[in-house]
Amino acid sequence: MDELPLYSERPEWVDVVPIPQYQDVDALAPINYSEEYQDATDYFRGIVKTEEMSPRVLQLTEHIIRLNPAHYSAWQYRYRTLIALESSLEDELRLMDAFAIEFLKTYQVWHHRRLLLTALRSVDAAAAELAFIARALEADTKNYHTWSYRQWLLAHFNDEDLLWSGERAWTENLLERDVRNNSAWHHRFFFVWGSGVRKGDEDREEILRRELTFTKEKIALAPNNPSAWNYLRGVLGHTGTPYASLSPFVKPYTATSVEKIDVVDLDNPVPSEGAELPCVMALEFLADTFEQEGGSQIPKAVETWKLLANEFDTMRKKYWEYRIKEALQASEP
Amino acid sequence: MSEAPPLPSLARNSHIKHCKLCLSGLPSSQVEMDSSRAAVGFYCLGALDLLGAKITDADRAAWRNWLWAQQTRGKYGTGFKPSTYMTPGNDSDYSEYDTPHLIMTYTAMLSLAVLRDDFARLDRPGILHLIRACQREDGSFSALPVGGEADLRTVYCAFVISSLLDDWSGMDVDSAIAYVRRCESHEGGYGQTPFGEALGGTTYCAVACLELAPSTAASPRETRMSPSHRERTIRWLLHNQTASGGFCGRTNKAADACYCFWCGAALSILGAADQVDSAALARFLADCQFKFGGIAKAPSERSDPYHTYLSLAALAIYPPPAADETWKLPSLNVLWNATTETARWARKHIPASN
Repeated sequence: MDELPLYSERPEWVDVVPIPQYQDVDALAPINYSEEYQDATDYFRGIVKTEEMSPRVLQLTEHIIRLNPAHYSAWQYRYRTLIALESSLEDELRLMDAFAIEFLKTYQVWHHRRLLLTALRSVDAAAAELAFIARALEADTKNYHTWSYRQWLLAHFNDEDLLWSGERAWTENLLERDVRNNSAWHHRFFFVWGSGVRKGDEDREEILRRELTFTKEKIALAPNNPSAWNYLRGVLGHTGTPYASLSPFVKPYTATSVEKIDVVDLDNPVPSEGAELPCVMALEFLADTFEQEGGSQIPKAVETWKLLANEFDTMRKKYWEYRIKEALQASEP
Repeated sequence: MSEAPPLPSLARNSHIKHCKLCLSGLPSSQVEMDSSRAAVGFYCLGALDLLGAKITDADRAAWRNWLWAQQTRGKYGTGFKPSTYMTPGNDSDYSEYDTPHLIMTYTAMLSLAVLRDDFARLDRPGILHLIRACQREDGSFSALPVGGEADLRTVYCAFVISSLLDDWSGMDVDSAIAYVRRCESHEGGYGQTPFGEALGGTTYCAVACLELAPSTAASPRETRMSPSHRERTIRWLLHNQTASGGFCGRTNKAADACYCFWCGAALSILGAADQVDSAALARFLADCQFKFGGIAKAPSERSDPYHTYLSLAALAIYPPPAADETWKLPSLNVLWNATTETARWARKHIPASN
């Protein structure tokens, strides 16, 4: 595309009257446009003025988007032109595959896909999108737009067999590669707890057990991983499960070193060799457990918060001191 | 907790220079700013405001004129567009592709307050009309009356505009509040949209919205966030302060200067400002200063107006203890994101009742 002459030099564009940008006052933060961009947008304003919707408009908007993927008006006009021309939206998606990777961080790229999928109304197309998103995430495993788009697709098309059914295995694979990928943890919460009940997941007691086992294993692997601890807290909060039920699991993570254990308890995996202990998030969890239990347990909560404030998490010293003050006030008769 | 090296100075003059340079022009590499120039202007002007920079009368007049030239009227109401990048001529009505934009309307109004404009030219009923045209069935607002992104950022802008006008008749407050609450994630932060991962910027937008909107019969202000939800949000926000001293925007991500504001300001709204380690925060932001002016998202990155403004705004909320004079900044109206003085000006001149 770069080698093409300016639109003002192309005979096939001679019928379009280019319209320069209107600027009559000293501008704030004006941009020193390249000649190529200036020329293309002059012709774009000309096209918009005459409301032309034709194949060459698709070329022109593609060109502008390549120069400035945040040009939301070009995206808007392109979408309306595609619909007006009854162009193949599948072809558009294939073009967008390359765009998405190149302009991964641009909101418009993902918004455009959303419009296309909404117009296509096809669960099969949505299923193909899931595969595309998986590839896009290879380039940036935590890209916010990409993840949002996946969550939107799943909720919008809401098909158990073609869409939801593969999510757990796929997310587990991502977490196997990076157990600290918070986007993957969040996604797991979304499809297990936040968006209805998946087919086969009807026995919620069983699902709770499954999720606790999964999370405990991941914590054992990397104890100082806030994503896993936040997931654990989220699950307990969502299901109304008391923190104390996790105490046998949490205790070894609050010790100063990995304890030798004779009997292996499969339900409660211990910290992996070489884990950095005590684990701050385990101490926090333990203190919250004591606070939940209340009464005579409050002094133990206070002791644990003091450890955090003075030794293991001094950046949040004032927070832990605040927690102590609040708990003591609440427990006063 | 061992001896920290002394905090270097805040390079005020270099930061002023950076912002003035950006206001006077951006290189062609910044072409992606074409569709959000009013916002870039706000970051630059907001930074100058915080730093108490002198603005000449000529600049003040020119910038005001430019901002007013972005106010545009048409069938969806009145508001500000990002720039003239889609404007073919001095037409009276906008086209479908040159409509006003909610985020630009918010930033332009605050910029005009920074420039101490009298707002005589503000089309108040037209702006209320625009807000109404942007609200969607799910309670959220799209950036444009003809579509575009709809998420907590645009909801926040609609809330601040209504608050600036002191007139909430442009929206269904209850359905907007319900949308905000649907964005809360299991971690305690708020995602950009419902089902989204907790994110610092949109968590700020959410807690500011819950605080900004007046009480309604269905949603009295004090019951909008239960104590346990509030505690969970505070906890998540505080855990985002990383060992570097800076805040990250999501769990397990690296610190970024802008999240020092988004997370720090959210904590301030939630009444937990005294729990932030402000000394560590300033040390991180001091390292983010770019040697040729401006503040970058992280140490050894290039500066830009967005990170410069938000870093300074964070420091205005969290002045470092025992720092030299250069770190002294005026106080901030955390809900609107403007200095207290500018907010006072806006309150006096923007509402129709005045």
